[in-house]
Amino acid sequence: MARYLLGRVIGLIGVFIAVSIVAFLLMHSIPGGPFDEEKSPLPPAARANILRKYGLDRPLYIQYLRYMGSALHGDFGISFQNPTETVLQTIGRTWPVSLRLGGLTILIALPLGILLGIIAAVKQNTWIDYVTTFVSTLGLTVPNFVIATWLLLLFSVRLRWLPTGGWGGWKTWIMPVTALGLGPMALAARYTRSSLIEVMRADYIRTAHAKGLSGRRVIMRHALKNALIPLITILGPQVPNLVTGTIFVEVIFRVPGLGKFFVSSIYLRDYPMLMATMLLVALLWSATYLLSDILYTVVDPRVRLYGD
Amino acid sequence: MIRHRIWSITTLLVVFTLFLSACGGTAPAVPSASNTTPQAAPTTAEATQATGATSASAATAASAMTSAAATTEAPAATSAATEAPAATSAATQASGAAPAAVQLPADAAPLEQQVYVTHYDNTADFTTIDFYESVYKRGGAISDILSDSLVRLDKNFKLQPGAATKWEVDSTGLVWTFHLDPNLMWTDDTPVTADDYVATFRYGADPKHAWDFTWFFNGVIKNWDDVVAGKKPLTDLGFKAVDAHTLQVETQTPAPYLPAMMLYSDTMQKKALEAHGGLYNSDPATSVSSGPFILQEWKKGERLVYVANPKYKGTNKPMIQKIICIGAAPSTDFAAYQSNEIDFMSGPNLSPADNTIVSSDLDLQKDYHPHYGDFRTHYLFFDFQNPPFNNLKVRQAFSHVIDRDGLIKSIIKPTQGLPAYSFLMPGFPAANSEALKGIQNYDPAAAQKLLADAGYPGGKGFPKLTLWLRNEAPVRQAMAQAIAASIKQNLGIDVDVSNKENKTFTDAMNAKPTQIQFGLVDYGMDFLDPANMLGVFKSGGRHNWNNKQFDDLYNKASAFTGDPQERTKMFQDAEKLLVSDVGSVFIYHRTPGDLYRPYLKGTELEPDQNGKAAIHWPGFTSFSTLPSSMYVSKDVTNYRKSVPQ
Repeated sequence: MARYLLGRVIGLIGVFIAVSIVAFLLMHSIPGGPFDEEKSPLPPAARANILRKYGLDRPLYIQYLRYMGSALHGDFGISFQNPTETVLQTIGRTWPVSLRLGGLTILIALPLGILLGIIAAVKQNTWIDYVTTFVSTLGLTVPNFVIATWLLLLFSVRLRWLPTGGWGGWKTWIMPVTALGLGPMALAARYTRSSLIEVMRADYIRTAHAKGLSGRRVIMRHALKNALIPLITILGPQVPNLVTGTIFVEVIFRVPGLGKFFVSSIYLRDYPMLMATMLLVALLWSATYLLSDILYTVVDPRVRLYGD
Repeated sequence: MIRHRIWSITTLLVVFTLFLSACGGTAPAVPSASNTTPQAAPTTAEATQATGATSASAATAASAMTSAAATTEAPAATSAATEAPAATSAATQASGAAPAAVQLPADAAPLEQQVYVTHYDNTADFTTIDFYESVYKRGGAISDILSDSLVRLDKNFKLQPGAATKWEVDSTGLVWTFHLDPNLMWTDDTPVTADDYVATFRYGADPKHAWDFTWFFNGVIKNWDDVVAGKKPLTDLGFKAVDAHTLQVETQTPAPYLPAMMLYSDTMQKKALEAHGGLYNSDPATSVSSGPFILQEWKKGERLVYVANPKYKGTNKPMIQKIICIGAAPSTDFAAYQSNEIDFMSGPNLSPADNTIVSSDLDLQKDYHPHYGDFRTHYLFFDFQNPPFNNLKVRQAFSHVIDRDGLIKSIIKPTQGLPAYSFLMPGFPAANSEALKGIQNYDPAAAQKLLADAGYPGGKGFPKLTLWLRNEAPVRQAMAQAIAASIKQNLGIDVDVSNKENKTFTDAMNAKPTQIQFGLVDYGMDFLDPANMLGVFKSGGRHNWNNKQFDDLYNKASAFTGDPQERTKMFQDAEKLLVSDVGSVFIYHRTPGDLYRPYLKGTELEPDQNGKAAIHWPGFTSFSTLPSSMYVSKDVTNYRKSVPQ
């Protein structure tokens, strides 16, 4: 296991370097820069001043090496959008908010989804199953920003029960968590249901029933554990998605999270922030895949990791 | 199984419908981070909307401007408009250690309810509230209220004294003297001096600072260009402190519009600038104010709070005691407005669906106040130096195939725009719309003939075109499609429409030679003088329509210090040349409007000389007399359940 992990971590470093080079090249190949010429073309002198100020007047490879050199020392530069703080400070200020929103969503949506999936599977083809199927279809097919807008119109504009946005107190959490969680919940419910139905037809389940075990015990002990394997594959990637924030839900509900920076850094050509968010996402995804691989061995003893 | 599916789909549809009806049949406003690019220079109100900017007399604003330029002494305390409620100006004069009490009009809500709440776009670049730190990174929030600029505008776009009580120009027309209000003090109890202004302008020109608005003073202020280029020291700049309260400005050529340009002169404090750098106003701890407000709180991306400056000694003393700016995506403004969470919403942030709701709701209709915005004109431009558009006949043909009236009626909507056949919008100084109307008129038959004469009968042999748009809203994408269809139908030329991301477009447009053969773009004014708007078409500027005759006329008119009417005539001749040589095909003038609650009152919100009651450009900032005029009336209790915190 230790050897396996070491191999994976070394692989990750390679991935990181590759991601940083690709991201760096891509971001510098987009036309424009952190200057604005909305009104008139900048006079050459003014443009040169701006490029010099941001260190963009040097050759690209020098810029890259300088960036990586500083990054290895923990200095990710100063965000062009927030020149009064470093990139790390900006992330440190906004990411906890996204983590909290994402964490809440995971804690509520995934267990609820699995529960709904189990009920739907057990009560297959009854009205409970239909309702679950309906909610899941809704959650999967309607994008979260549409759901968010519906919630906003209904609970804030019409009923005036909840504030239209902000971040502070449980009242402001309800709508973002619901909008963000419906999709993952639906996903969990759908996969749990179909996976469980499939497992329940397996021979060993019939054997378990034949041994005289109670229905609940069969499902919880025997069926669910096996049904969870495909779920790990599906739900694992939801985690980095949810904890890095989402532009739509955060923007609609004025959640001061990290989500919007993934987009605003691109159109504002905020290179330092863009690189940092890229690397953060790369790190989270790698960690998630590593974790799900390890989790497989826990739920399915037959799975062996290479190098074990 | 299939039956189950049908069953669930039916349920889905039913619930969808219920949801929609619960929401009043509104089409959900899809957030569009990409569409929230902050509009150019000026402030929040810049991007605003108005209905038909009727036939505002061109002369009014024009004469206001030119007279201010030509006079040797500015009209001192001037019209009733600036005096605002007499009570406040009286209060202002009561200087002394104790903060002057604010006297509110009879129908005003109590002082603690004088709170003004707005949104700002927190998806846009927002790093500063100071014009001289950055113009394009002010996020559309309320900004530039921590000091007074030399002059300000009233609701009729007339220049009023600000930090300068009067100003004059010498006989050469090159040296301007601004006399500062000696009462002005910073919150650290030091006086506001001419040195502060000089330091601020020098900061703007400093190559190390790399200000994003240096082009504004290019060719106007003495030595500005060389200082920006690092060829001359900052001390050579044409700004000089003659004594503590006298500021001298030297221009390169006579610039009768200089006082109008000095709208953007809200000074920074020299001491703070030297001690903490240009972002000292980003933190209440280092912030210092000599303006109507002080910075109380700034949580990046979330909220910005100002409170009235108890030590303010200027003439723009506010009745509003607290301003709360909440960071939000523009697409969420309307929901917040309907929920009474904000008092004001910028009209351009209304989606077409929101506009439908506004026009069908009596209360919202009353809240909607059309105005002129920043006199913005949308136009088509070409690569003028290469075939086929280096041929005047081709350009003329294009100018005759666009049915502006139809576009306004069916796509833009008459409340949002006026058809444009020339560049300067009615109401802007030197505007000459009526006289120029016939030159680029809608006449498909003439267009076809012109195209044939140019060697492309029926569009034969004409290259396929792509019409570039700069990150346009859906409504102008639709307009561009209609324009493309009209070109195809009348001229037989294929046109693709391509909506480009903002910086991609701008980079291609400004490239030398330009990479855009055919594009749609717009321009809104920075200050009220034809020299500003028409300057867009100077050779070497935004477009490569290089016309020596236009340049000569423009330069002569810009620097002309004689009879204002003669100057206006010269600009009108230049514009006529621009229109007839088809330096652009003009499409429409934007006439925006805003939503604000009826409890916002004040003389500056009452009808202007053209009968428009609105929060005029440049909005709630020290560039305007609005801060000393606006207050919250008692009606507020019908809307707010509690005082916003």
